[in-house]
Amino acid sequence: MKEKFTIALAGNPNCGKTTIFNNLTGARQKVGNWPGVTVEKKEGKLRHKEYDLKVVDLPGTYSLTPFSIEEITARDFILNENPDIVVNIIDSSNLERSLFLAIQILELGRPVIFVLNMADVAQAKGIKIDEKKLSQLLGLPVVFTVGNKNKGIETLVEEAIREIHRFKEGKEGRDIKYSQEIEGCISKLESCILESKIHIDTVLRWNAIKILEDDKIVKQKFIEKEPVAAQIIFQEAIVCRDRIHNLFEDDFEIVLTDDRYGVIAGVIKEIVSNLARERIDMSRNIDLVLTDRFFGIPVFVFFIWAMFQLTFSLGEYPMGWIESGVSLLSQSVDSLLPASLLKDLLLDGIIAGIGSVIIFLPNILILFFCIALFEDTGYMARTAFLMDRVMHASGLHGKSFIPMLMGFGCNVPAIMATRTLESKKDRILTILMTPFMSCSARLPVYIVLAGSFFGNRAGTVIFSLYLTGIIVAIASGRMLRTILFKGEDAPFIMELPPYRMPMLKSLLIHMWDRSKMFLKKMGGVILLGSIIIWCLSSFPRNISYSTDYDTQIVFVKSNYMQDILTADIKETERLNQQLTLILGDIKNKKEQERVSKSYIGKIGKFLEPVFLPIGIGWQASVALVTGFVAKEVVVSTMGVLYGVGDMGGQALERALKNSGMTPLSALSMMVFVLLYVPCFATVMMIYKETSAKWAGFNLVYTTLVAWGGSFLVYQTGVILGLS
Amino acid sequence: MGNTHEREKKQFKQLFQQQGVDQFDLRFMVLEAFLKLEHHVTIQEIMEQIRADGEKIDEDFVLNSLELLCRFGFANQIEFDDKKPQYEHRHLGLHHDHMVCTKCGSILEFKDEAIEKQQLKVADAYGFHMLQHRMEIYGICSVCMEERRSLVLLHKAKQGEKLIVKEFEAGKNMQSRVSSMGLKIGDLIEIVSSGFGGQVVIAAGENRLVLGKGMAEKISVQPLDPIKIMKLEKNKDSEDILDTPVTLKQMKKGQEGIIRKVSGEGVFRRRLLEMGINRGSKIYVEKYAPLKDPIELVIKGYHISLRVEEAANILVENVRFKKK
Repeated sequence: MKEKFTIALAGNPNCGKTTIFNNLTGARQKVGNWPGVTVEKKEGKLRHKEYDLKVVDLPGTYSLTPFSIEEITARDFILNENPDIVVNIIDSSNLERSLFLAIQILELGRPVIFVLNMADVAQAKGIKIDEKKLSQLLGLPVVFTVGNKNKGIETLVEEAIREIHRFKEGKEGRDIKYSQEIEGCISKLESCILESKIHIDTVLRWNAIKILEDDKIVKQKFIEKEPVAAQIIFQEAIVCRDRIHNLFEDDFEIVLTDDRYGVIAGVIKEIVSNLARERIDMSRNIDLVLTDRFFGIPVFVFFIWAMFQLTFSLGEYPMGWIESGVSLLSQSVDSLLPASLLKDLLLDGIIAGIGSVIIFLPNILILFFCIALFEDTGYMARTAFLMDRVMHASGLHGKSFIPMLMGFGCNVPAIMATRTLESKKDRILTILMTPFMSCSARLPVYIVLAGSFFGNRAGTVIFSLYLTGIIVAIASGRMLRTILFKGEDAPFIMELPPYRMPMLKSLLIHMWDRSKMFLKKMGGVILLGSIIIWCLSSFPRNISYSTDYDTQIVFVKSNYMQDILTADIKETERLNQQLTLILGDIKNKKEQERVSKSYIGKIGKFLEPVFLPIGIGWQASVALVTGFVAKEVVVSTMGVLYGVGDMGGQALERALKNSGMTPLSALSMMVFVLLYVPCFATVMMIYKETSAKWAGFNLVYTTLVAWGGSFLVYQTGVILGLS
Repeated sequence: MGNTHEREKKQFKQLFQQQGVDQFDLRFMVLEAFLKLEHHVTIQEIMEQIRADGEKIDEDFVLNSLELLCRFGFANQIEFDDKKPQYEHRHLGLHHDHMVCTKCGSILEFKDEAIEKQQLKVADAYGFHMLQHRMEIYGICSVCMEERRSLVLLHKAKQGEKLIVKEFEAGKNMQSRVSSMGLKIGDLIEIVSSGFGGQVVIAAGENRLVLGKGMAEKISVQPLDPIKIMKLEKNKDSEDILDTPVTLKQMKKGQEGIIRKVSGEGVFRRRLLEMGINRGSKIYVEKYAPLKDPIELVIKGYHISLRVEEAANILVENVRFKKK
């Protein structure tokens, strides 16, 4: 029987916990170079010799006083789940601040081991740390690691297991002693808690300190156990706090913080020798340009522009390959299979549906690659720094900008990323705004529509759509802020991490995860959607047509045949072309009438009155409705509805042009796609992160905004005579 | 000096005997007593000296004699401020000016050629022929200044004095009242008038503020060295260390300092502290964002950004430009 232990990885944000976690467990969790990449605890398993280890990666925190949700998650885990050991990961190049949390974790009286990560960075900075001395001073094992190079991980595990055993054999954590006055208060409260006979499952000293610090959560626990006795303890705490306040003219927690830093300063003095010589700080040099007074913002705009430019221009080539692959497939299916309902399903349903979406895989991958690059280098945090002023002017928080930028990739992780925001108001507000950021799933719709109707100007049109999204997001933020979320702005405090070379592995992991997700979507939602749409559009089979198309075809054919027979060679060619055109036209008309009389046609007709004022025909209306499942489905539905399965590349484009859609209605539709209800997954994420109320609000609000926006675009166009 | 004094006595004898001044011996005694005393003396002090010499002369006579001495150029009568007249030796050909401490009353003699020349120049420029002049600088002597250097309460500050607001005593109530008037720690103020029933009128920037006695008593101020003010105004960007704390908001790019105080609303303040922005830490202003907000700071060796508005909560002292 193997022994089972739980190891919790804790530490400051951006100190490399997830990198170590990935190294330990072989997992592929997302890492990045900005504080707050990990917002949820993640679990992984590791087998080491005769032990089964469960490793838990916690979100980063600056202290055990919780401010934002991610920090509460981390603290709750350490306190309530009783991990066998807390592995406190410390950024060696940032020792002083890291030790602040470390000391608090130490106070919990649990087995702790310190991991001095990024040892190479510290060394490069000329910082020399005496780990033996640190281990001696604080009474716990200390190991060095270099996370991104997978160094020291083995030692980490071994030391951790050894420390667990030491505690099992009766070792106790060492207390950190503070100044006399503080210690006086602590011991007074300790005896007070002992007298009350309240049973506590955590270390006495820690509880005493937390009550003195006026920690609401700890106090609540006491009240739940013994309301009366708890009040007596709290009374004593108030007396102590008052005494400290009179002595130092400051709150207890502030005085204690100062004290903790005092202890840390002492420790640092003992263990760190700075080999002085300030080396050239690359990070600072990079920032000389990237956050410069004059260049900062233009460079930022350039990066965003370059990101989209790359997405479109570089993505075009693989897009062409996939497209020809799809048309090759449909042609071979067409020629191999005999005419049947199954063939129709395969060709017009599945291949048309999926084929019209899968070609966008390269674009999406490039977009995600760029965003991952922003995250891994450390530029992401800078964007918040650059944009805080703008965001603040619209009543938002600079940190809101990170989720918004991520929203260009996918809204779902973007909404998760709002967890780094400390104020609940800002969080909900950002969550409500993020869906307006045009995600990569909407891109195919734009490319199809803008490509079909705007030709050379497609790029400009798409860029202005993205811009519109941002403007609508910020305007909504401003509006909601003044109506629903009144009150003080939350302060902006954010660490700006040094720039780091992105790890290729992490970038690849990120892209692989994305492709997997996209392909899963293909095989799941989009496949299913395509089949359903095809079914709805193919049945009922027996439709009475308004005109007899078949006789018409026969009639036209025989007419032309006669002409062709009598004509000379040149004339024959001309007539043949004419015939094909006319026949195609008739077939198209037949198909359109058939679809319009199918189930989906009936649904479309039912929806028509709603979409008519914004210039969107019934087919597109249906596509929009199905887009709720996933935005790519809009394209696949159009693919099925316009029956492009057997027509090869550029097919949808031609079909759209033939369907009577104008550039104006295409624009109106794109605006609608940009603004309307986010996909099902996003709405569920909103529900999960906020409440049903806000998810519902988002549904209604985005629909109204989208309809209003499209109405404005379309009707203005009509008045200007653009239709 | 001895020689001068002997010469003066000789001249005195000559002159007074020539003029046929009465009671010559007694008057000579007055002169002797006066010459024994250095610096600036009052009648009373001369009387004491005469008594110490074992003589007995009545005050009117001494007064009369000193007037004579003044007339013949052996003494100068000076009246500083609103005090009693004082006398000093007048050594012909040797001119000096005075600095008078308004606190302890001590008088400092000084001579500055530049001033002397400047006076002649000024007079000349106005077409004025200068015969003689008196120049007195009123202020607080170095000894008194040293005593006061640390902190004074506002109501005790002298009129015309330039001061820096250092501390508000008493509760938050008081603090908010003062700050609602636009006065905050680190402000430079000037006393417009003081003393009318304890009321103090101060100038803070371009504002006139009237503080009641109760309030003035609770504000600690630090007198500012006029030379330092001059330096401050002259080269604000110089590398001089500012003694006066400023808020982080007022710091410029490239300046560093030591955090003196972190104020602000509870949770926010704790967050700052937990991220390492605590009292006594060294802080460096790396840069302002392109839109002037937020600020990028370096503290404890790492970079952090804060909004300007929030930076106003952090008081920094010993601010200076970091040497490259």
